[in-house]
Amino acid sequence: MLSAILPLVLAVVILQFAVIRMPSQVFLQFIIGAAMVIGGMVLFLSGVEIGILPMGKALGAELPRRNSLLLVIGIAFMVGFAATVAEPDVIVLTRQVDEVSRGAIAENVLIYAIALGVGLFVTMAMLRILLNINIAYLLAAGYAIIIVLAFFAPPEFVPVAFDSGGVTTGPMAVPIILSLGLGFSSVLAGRSAMSDGFGLIGLASIGPVIAVMILGMVLS
Amino acid sequence: MSWIMVWGGIGHTFLSVIRALLPLLVLFIIFQFLVLKLPRSYVLNLLKGVLLAIVGLALFLQGVGIGFFPAGQYMGETLGAIRAQWLLVPFGLMMGFLATWGEPAVRILGSQIEEASGGSVRKNVVVYAISGGVALFVALGMARIVYGIPLLWIIIPGYLLAIAMLRFSDKRVIAIAFDAGGVATGPMVVTFVLAIAVGIAAAIEGRDPILDGFGLISLVALAPILTIMVLGLILRARLRRKEK
Repeated sequence: MLSAILPLVLAVVILQFAVIRMPSQVFLQFIIGAAMVIGGMVLFLSGVEIGILPMGKALGAELPRRNSLLLVIGIAFMVGFAATVAEPDVIVLTRQVDEVSRGAIAENVLIYAIALGVGLFVTMAMLRILLNINIAYLLAAGYAIIIVLAFFAPPEFVPVAFDSGGVTTGPMAVPIILSLGLGFSSVLAGRSAMSDGFGLIGLASIGPVIAVMILGMVLS
Repeated sequence: MSWIMVWGGIGHTFLSVIRALLPLLVLFIIFQFLVLKLPRSYVLNLLKGVLLAIVGLALFLQGVGIGFFPAGQYMGETLGAIRAQWLLVPFGLMMGFLATWGEPAVRILGSQIEEASGGSVRKNVVVYAISGGVALFVALGMARIVYGIPLLWIIIPGYLLAIAMLRFSDKRVIAIAFDAGGVATGPMVVTFVLAIAVGIAAAIEGRDPILDGFGLISLVALAPILTIMVLGLILRARLRRKEK
């Protein structure tokens, strides 16, 4: 955690004294904020490890035991949705969008659109493992849909939509979704956890881009 | 130093954190009673972890709100106002490299690839390739803001390149590459670098923060995908030459 944040914080400190010169209040709040971010992340990650990941695993292990396709789809969707709503990167992005657009693209609406997209695509990824579909086809189709939609969606939603795809892959959603997929493919006969379990995150980050672009088209 | 605002709005932050974790908790509790029926002491332990996560997430968001957002926006606005705006491009190069090089997820991915390739791709090669790729794309993102280039002009050729490489890449390389899209979009990029970009777009005349400021994260997510697929192709070409 420290190594992820320290290089940039040092760069900012050097810039502060060399060129930028922010007011000392902003600079001090930045230093205190950086300490809070590091401390908060350490606490959060250990909380995820102790409490939230085991919950995700318990739910994921339940999937193959019930021989019901409907249940598999339902749980995969709900876990994908719930993990995204709690993802720090998603919260931070949607907050910035809300602030910069002065509420025109509201935080809550955006979070739920992103979560819906992740939920749907995690479900698709599970079905892919079940039906043994080559991942390259799904990726190519997903990105083709994104490219087409990008020309029809309202322009102010396009950059936000693309960014939404990047933030779903954060410290909360990734371990939960991965454990769901790895658990699932390890119980199915004839599937390798290595090549089938992976690719889940890549697919999951296509969903929000499509969902937010459609949201923009619906809203305008 | 009462003018420093550290805990303002902490109640609101806590509320939004609880609301964020609620769906997962409700889902688990329903399953716990209906199907799982795990022992009570085990569940209590899990709830302790959830409590820890709530406190940590609230602290993180508060730190971002009082520290990273205002400082990032201020830096962006200052940088956007400088006369030699082309300087923002090398600035983006530096920020992109620094944000990725320290990211633990990138190092973990590097070790995984070194292991999966039987040592023929070294971990450091992966770390520097991805950091270099991200640096290049953040620099492109800065150039985009300064010169008003639409995001689609960069992102669509990027995706098309990735789709084209799908045809020539191994299944496993593809899965790893697309999963890696998220390794570089860590907390520093999403909070701080994005706030700088939005600030710059707000300061440069004729740029819209919503249209030009956002989009940077998607470029940072695209860079590792392309980098790893190119690495995979290079490795394959090398293996072929050896076989001959």
